[in-house]
Amino acid sequence: MNEFLLAATVMLAGFIPVGIVCLREGPIDALAALELAGALATTILLCLSEGFGRSFYFDVPVICAALTWVSGLVFARFLGRHI
Amino acid sequence: MSGLAVHVLLVIAVVAQLLSALGLLVMRTAADRLHYTSAAFTVGPFCVLAAVLLHTGMTTAGYNAIATVGLLFLAGPIVVHATARAGRRRVLGDPGPRPEERVQ
Repeated sequence: MNEFLLAATVMLAGFIPVGIVCLREGPIDALAALELAGALATTILLCLSEGFGRSFYFDVPVICAALTWVSGLVFARFLGRHI
Repeated sequence: MSGLAVHVLLVIAVVAQLLSALGLLVMRTAADRLHYTSAAFTVGPFCVLAAVLLHTGMTTAGYNAIATVGLLFLAGPIVVHATARAGRRRVLGDPGPRPEERVQ
């Protein structure tokens, strides 16, 4: 296990507080937690791509970053207008 | 020397991301929590990007890493701002300033 895989593994612990906030708090707090989870997942995927040493794995964090952006905006609009 | 820098950058990235997640849990209001979401979009990814570029150089992987972190860096403020407006709209019904909040 190299340093990038180790960093990705340790960063997985960050999903625990994010999950607690998603489950226990209100919709806007949960959306903030979801957005943080997206940034965390992208960073972890970046570390995993480098750790495995395959350049084509780097497509996955690019897509994850784009989807974090789009999903955050969609949820924000939905929560602000319709509930 | 480059290996040591990669290690240090990764440690900073891991600590920053974990502190952001813990800050999200500790804070009480959504507005406070959004500050930690913003931090998670910038500090950790930039440190990982620097570590990747030091480790591999300007290769295809490096360019993809730049695109990823660039997307996060652009997306972070926009998404956080939209979330803050949605929260304010839910609480107040209107995201605009109230009369007592207007700047003279």
